[in-house]
Amino acid sequence: MTMKSEYSPTDAASRWPLMLLIISGASWLVLAGVFALISSIQLHTPSFMALCPVFTYGRGVAIAETAFVYGWLANAGLALALWVLMRLSGEPLRAQNWALGGWTFWNLGVLGAIIGLGLGDLTGFELLELPGYIQLILFFSYAAIAIPGLLAWSGRLRRVSFASHWYAAAALFLFPWLLSIVHVMLFSAPVRGVLQPIVAGWYAQSVWTLVLAPLALSIAYFVVPKVTGKVLPSYEFASLGFWCLILVGGLTGGRHLVGGPVPAWIASVAVVSCALLFFHTFVVLLNLRGAFTAPGVAVKFIAFGVAAYVLGAVFDTVTSFHVVAVQTQFTYFDEAQKQLALYGAATTILFGGIYFAVPRITGKAWLSPLLVRGHLMLSLLGIMLLVISLCAAGATQSHDLLDAKVPFATITAHTRDSLVGVTAAELILLLGNICFLANFYGTACEILKISSPATFSPSSAMETPAS
Amino acid sequence: MKNNVIFFLGLASALAISWAGIVLGSNAQLGSLAPFYDDSEGAAFPARMAGAAAQGQLVYRDMGCASCHTQQVRRPGFGVDKERGWGDRQSVARDYIYQPAPQLGLSRVGPDLANLADRKPSALDASDLLHLLYAGAPGMPTYRFLFETRTLGVGAQPSEKALKLVGALEPKAGTEVVPTPEAESLVAYLLSLKNPYTYPEAVPFTPPAGEGEKEGAK
Repeated sequence: MTMKSEYSPTDAASRWPLMLLIISGASWLVLAGVFALISSIQLHTPSFMALCPVFTYGRGVAIAETAFVYGWLANAGLALALWVLMRLSGEPLRAQNWALGGWTFWNLGVLGAIIGLGLGDLTGFELLELPGYIQLILFFSYAAIAIPGLLAWSGRLRRVSFASHWYAAAALFLFPWLLSIVHVMLFSAPVRGVLQPIVAGWYAQSVWTLVLAPLALSIAYFVVPKVTGKVLPSYEFASLGFWCLILVGGLTGGRHLVGGPVPAWIASVAVVSCALLFFHTFVVLLNLRGAFTAPGVAVKFIAFGVAAYVLGAVFDTVTSFHVVAVQTQFTYFDEAQKQLALYGAATTILFGGIYFAVPRITGKAWLSPLLVRGHLMLSLLGIMLLVISLCAAGATQSHDLLDAKVPFATITAHTRDSLVGVTAAELILLLGNICFLANFYGTACEILKISSPATFSPSSAMETPAS
Repeated sequence: MKNNVIFFLGLASALAISWAGIVLGSNAQLGSLAPFYDDSEGAAFPARMAGAAAQGQLVYRDMGCASCHTQQVRRPGFGVDKERGWGDRQSVARDYIYQPAPQLGLSRVGPDLANLADRKPSALDASDLLHLLYAGAPGMPTYRFLFETRTLGVGAQPSEKALKLVGALEPKAGTEVVPTPEAESLVAYLLSLKNPYTYPEAVPFTPPAGEGEKEGAK
């Protein structure tokens, strides 16, 4: 094994911001899971916890989404992006105080946002359920966390840069601009009427294609060649795939607005862009196909994530066509697509990245190999059950909605069984994520033990194939 | 990619292009949309929202009602919105110009509400809506925290606003259930949801008779 040579003193010198980002991300993930579980129960049993305004369905959904996207995905994605850029620069992170300060205020901001949402300060915009007063804090703290990453990028050893570099740097650079634009156009000087949903749709799509997906792809492009020990196949297309995503990604947001009270060209642009984006997806699949045959828990997560990413792109394109959209629009299919992207693709790739990175950052093996394998099983099972149940509910709902004679009470009764499946999936995912948090917490505590020797031993959990 | 400056300029211009295209493009098209003045009716449409309704829209947003209800009617032929009685015409951008926080919504766990107050043959009135919010419905939660249960003093008259509840929901003797100001403004908003006027742009395009025949013959 080449594990021993993987451990470098630069990791130890940069460990604090990275570990703090990951542990806060994992904690938000569990909180998001609790709220998602409650909301999913309310879908088939509306009276569940309905007497408490904090847990009313609309607010619960908003809290779950915010904790998931801005708590979990952002924290974990930033940690791994910083780690990748630090690794590729060949020296410890510079300006770590900026990252620590940014981490503090970012998480205080997310906490403030969640308290605000519980009290009713919803915005009503998908993926932007952040009260206006929180957004400035998040803007500055994200920028502060990005500074060490961009310093590592500009101070890199060789002039040449890699695909991991581009995706990480793009995500670090673009989010503050996105957030500032949308803050001005929706909160400080709001645009009129339906322009608000248009701006919000553009933001939601851009934050996925320009920030969250690149954060995940960055670590995938870093881990896969390390684990397979080979140059990525068809790597010469990687830069074209990258620029395709960056240029076209933000234009695909209008597909949810098809048939709505907005100019028809917005949906048409989205259809064309979705089709163009296939090129990017295909390049990612070509480059990372080694993940499907490589051994180890980390790369199993990543392989699942890449498969979900490709499947999600196919889903997005197919449902953007008019004939399909009339069936799937406004149904649980939309939620299935969102979960496939945010959970199936981004989250599993980040899990894989964390399983790969943490033993190198801490110099310790994962505390419990059993919990690692349990987390893998529960995550993959939970995500598949979640997406399939939502699709089944969506199919029933779509069929019934298009029959004008079926009343809503009947639709609720018809979708009940599938929605119970969603609850089961959320429960499985929550259990898996608690395993993950506990294991991570235990591993992180190991580095605080002064008595334990600081030598690195190859991790068995990390490289054992899950059987 | 060896040049930092070009790389970041590329990123910034990609973001600028999609922003200019989607956001500024639609703003140029719709940003100055004005009310439509109809000479024969001597009035402009849409009407401005009443203050209570505008407040109610914020309650609607804060409760996250949009996570289950849309407010956009799709055109006849694209879905069955018309057949469900949600509106005779499609929603257009002009319907929303006076709304401080338009709630188009992305999900139809419950019915569309764009024309809730204009349902045919009979729409729900204020007491129906308050009862629905208090009691819930299959698939819809209750919103009892928008109501207050008060103890009636000895010999006091019940409030005019008290809900007339029967059966299992009936409050204990000597108490009454009254809506909070939030519930009242939410209902005022829901009762304002109607788009009775058909704008020129809301009329679907009908092909000339000749073409229609040809298609019918196919």
